[in-house]
Amino acid sequence: MRLSESGESRVRGYLYVFERSLRSFLAPKVATDAVREVESHIRDAVAQTGDVPNELDALERILMRLGPPIKVAQAYSLELVMDEAETTGRLGPVFRSLFQSAATGITAFFGAFGLFAGYASGLACIAIAILKPIFPENVGIWMHHGVPISAGAMFPPPSPGRGWTMTGGYAIVPLFLGIGLMLLVLTHWFARKWIGRLRARRQVMNPMMIR
Amino acid sequence: MLENWTEQLRRGTLEMAVLLTVSPGRRYGLEIIRHLEEFTDLVLPEGTVYPLLTRLARDGFLTAEWIADEGPHPRKYYQLTPSGRARLNNMCREFQAFTGKIDRLMKAAGRDV
Repeated sequence: MRLSESGESRVRGYLYVFERSLRSFLAPKVATDAVREVESHIRDAVAQTGDVPNELDALERILMRLGPPIKVAQAYSLELVMDEAETTGRLGPVFRSLFQSAATGITAFFGAFGLFAGYASGLACIAIAILKPIFPENVGIWMHHGVPISAGAMFPPPSPGRGWTMTGGYAIVPLFLGIGLMLLVLTHWFARKWIGRLRARRQVMNPMMIR
Repeated sequence: MLENWTEQLRRGTLEMAVLLTVSPGRRYGLEIIRHLEEFTDLVLPEGTVYPLLTRLARDGFLTAEWIADEGPHPRKYYQLTPSGRARLNNMCREFQAFTGKIDRLMKAAGRDV
């Protein structure tokens, strides 16, 4: 079967949607290669189809068997989650990559654990800043006999008679908000770098790469 | 529920099936898919095989190479690497041991199907 102009146009449309979907999360080089391969698949499938009365019906069947372009792009996302994490920095792919990498070795496990701890600490600091105006007597920096012990919320607050005091006042709101945001940004930056390093190391260990 | 389980089985075995398909020699995408369709019903839809091939190539289990002069248009050919062959051998061994045990379990339960 040879494609007419309308058939070619349908193929270009499919590939356009596919490429747009891929480029939102994959490196351009990988996306271009994937589009080229899917186009090669379509051309092969068309060539293997004999002469048919209705070219567009036959083409639709080929594209239907291939799958909707967005679904095929999603399958790439599932397989290449680390590429997606490094390229886009989206939280979902980053967390999925960290979970995946944590299972690959001891160093990777502790690296991923440290990064999750960074995210959790950042969120905890922001939670303290948010809770302070709501529970002013329960949230702050807690001192025991003048020594800072913890920062956060205590319900009920410990008795001042036992040497506990709370310090910081409302100044902790901007302070902890700033620390929390800084921790989240830094942790996320490190997470992307970490994922990039893991990817690069895997590529060095496996020199037979896509050409 | 049964569909989920079947889907997980399919996902779990597709990688081994792809490696088996390219183990005799290099093949291109549609050739791999047609071979899988001939022997299994693992490929649904066809487009989902390509991300798997890309990942296997990136992980060093397959080589991937564009060849322009063996068809009407360029095709990407895949071939097993030594580490891919080692992985396939391990997978086949594990799979046979696993299915053997499940088979014995089914026989013990009187479900000789």
